[in-house]
Amino acid sequence: MIEFREVSFSYGQNEQTCGIKNINLTIEDGQCVLLCGESGCGKTTLTRLVNGLIPHFYEGDLSGEVWMDDKNISKMPLYDTAAIVGSVFQSPKSQFFNVDTDSEIAFGCENLGLPEQEIRHRVKRTVRELQLESLMGRSIFHLSGGEKQKIACGSVSALYPEVMVLDEPSSNLDAAAIQDLRRTLTVWKKQGKTILIAEHRLFYLTDIADRILYLKNGKIIKEFTQHEFKKLSEEERHKMGLRSLSLENLSFSSAYVTDLEETMLLKDFCFSYRTGLDALHISNATIPKGEIIAVTGLNGAGKSTFARCMCGLEKRCGILEIKGRVLNWKKRLKYCYMVMQDTGHQLFTESVLDEILLSMETEDEEEACKILKKLDLLDLKSRHPLSLSGGQKQRVAIASALVSGREIIVFDEPTSGLGLHHMEEVAHSLRELRQEGKTLFVITHDPELILSCCTHVIHMKNGEITENYSLDRNGIKQMLSFFQNPIKEGSL
Amino acid sequence: MRREFLSSEQQKKGIHFDPRTKLLLILIISVFVLGGAGGNAMYFLRPVLSLVPFAMLISVGRGFHAALYIIAYTVCYVAQLILLPILTGFTNFLVLILAGTFCRFLPGFIIAYFVVTTTTVSEFMAGMERMHMPSKITIPLSVVFRFAPTVLEEAASISDAMKMRGIRFGGKKSSKILEYRLIPMITCSVKIGEELSAAALTRGLGAPLKRTNICEIGFHFPDVIIFILCGVTVAWAIFSAFSI
Repeated sequence: MIEFREVSFSYGQNEQTCGIKNINLTIEDGQCVLLCGESGCGKTTLTRLVNGLIPHFYEGDLSGEVWMDDKNISKMPLYDTAAIVGSVFQSPKSQFFNVDTDSEIAFGCENLGLPEQEIRHRVKRTVRELQLESLMGRSIFHLSGGEKQKIACGSVSALYPEVMVLDEPSSNLDAAAIQDLRRTLTVWKKQGKTILIAEHRLFYLTDIADRILYLKNGKIIKEFTQHEFKKLSEEERHKMGLRSLSLENLSFSSAYVTDLEETMLLKDFCFSYRTGLDALHISNATIPKGEIIAVTGLNGAGKSTFARCMCGLEKRCGILEIKGRVLNWKKRLKYCYMVMQDTGHQLFTESVLDEILLSMETEDEEEACKILKKLDLLDLKSRHPLSLSGGQKQRVAIASALVSGREIIVFDEPTSGLGLHHMEEVAHSLRELRQEGKTLFVITHDPELILSCCTHVIHMKNGEITENYSLDRNGIKQMLSFFQNPIKEGSL
Repeated sequence: MRREFLSSEQQKKGIHFDPRTKLLLILIISVFVLGGAGGNAMYFLRPVLSLVPFAMLISVGRGFHAALYIIAYTVCYVAQLILLPILTGFTNFLVLILAGTFCRFLPGFIIAYFVVTTTTVSEFMAGMERMHMPSKITIPLSVVFRFAPTVLEEAASISDAMKMRGIRFGGKKSSKILEYRLIPMITCSVKIGEELSAAALTRGLGAPLKRTNICEIGFHFPDVIIFILCGVTVAWAIFSAFSI
């Protein structure tokens, strides 16, 4: 049993994440509790209180107590908490300590100094239970995000903790990996573990969660049972800022017919890495110009390679023909722009204004301010780009693409880990860019984003475009069927 | 695309050596071949030691690399023996520098390459622990092995971003390239480092107990041969130093 007694916490002043206020909460053994709410509502903070990272790792003002059975977690050292609470985090790339999968699964047990025989036994059992056989003996640098997340789950599982805490575990996963994650959760639930999961994407959890807590501004303001939660009307859900609860009845405003009059032609988009992996081979494709094109497919299907080739980042790869102009990779370097998943990688200067000026051929402050105003960034023009929120950084990156006159903008998973309202903001900016005549490619695993702004879909598999369709009524069905049934695709 | 320090996958074929044996080999070859310790007394042992990297590469089934190495080494060695006495002036100097450097550096370089590509991080850590290295040294080392490839990946995406914005040598703002690269690099390294530490701590790292290590290492017959060879080398060096 986990018990929060009058718990309040606030981070230091510089943190953007807000804390929680006066939480009283009891979680019975074996319950699966889903924490939802918009970004910054305090759900991550709540998970950190349970695994002890607050107050032992993240500092701030804590009052009240968190108890697990007869132990006070806030007073227990982290290595003792590790044996009873397992944690899985958001980013697959930064929660590994070892570089090979076998050692990673044994890592926690090794730290606790368990006998070697016992560790071997536990690793074996965990591998069997979570079906990790195919991933053993591999380098973590050669795993996909979904595979890494599976290993992270395994590594936690081998410690045999009573409580599992997951903080937005699906943010970087593709549709098939989410189904795997769901299976892992089901296994844990069957084993009687208490599960606490903070998440934005809700559809894969509605059948697992026993109890749903809705947080806002650091307080639990609503609580649902699974049954009540499923009956939530679309309107209420929207008002609460929650992502949709199932992929079956996603709503869409209006089906769209792509205007195929203006097209661009992709030729010889072929590329292979030295390892021979992740190759791309598109010999010929016609894609509408001036549309928002969703690029879908599982991880490893070649989406990012496609994006890199499109932006001219891979030398001598592919020719793009557009309005009679022939663009090779070198020309595309100036014609296309990528808004990266981690926009922190592409902001270099000391202020937002400098960032825009840097992208201009000739620096013109007036023009720069105009663009900033359009993207709602004018008030922030003297802020340091890296101090902005995720959405603001994204808009700065968009602004620098606009100001340098790029016609094609590629977005790499712009909505991973975003709640409904932030996702809608992104969709809104995408639609505005389209109105200016830009062509947008959006690499995404987010069917809701596709429905709220995209007009065309290219689906990739094994480095090829296997489907290329406009998002009309049939197209929507086709797109959704992939997200509902990604495994079929994976096993083919 | 991916660059790693130490191997992250188990060596699949060939003879396994203990990581401690490999470290010893690096030490001996660096001291006697690269460092030239022992002076003229080692005149005959040095080529023998230089054959060790060749044998090691063969033992893990990298015949092609082994052949390349032995050809390069022989050419340099023979050049020293035959060409130096006949050449004079600048050409003599050139051959001396080139062949001499190669003969000295190549064996050490190849053995390091062999060790780095055949040892997994876990083996290395297990070896260090068996040698009773304190965890104050081993834990930071393992963090470096883990962290470095990730940081390099981040660096690669930052250079992509710079390419897209036309920031390059000879382009605009070339004077600021270093700054533009470093700042995002530092912020994302800090972020990754923080997440990494949080994850490791919740998995019990830092418990005041003796850590178990389930990686199997140990000395076998091939290790013994290497030990004898190293022992002979050291003994010979000491013996000849005293007999003069």
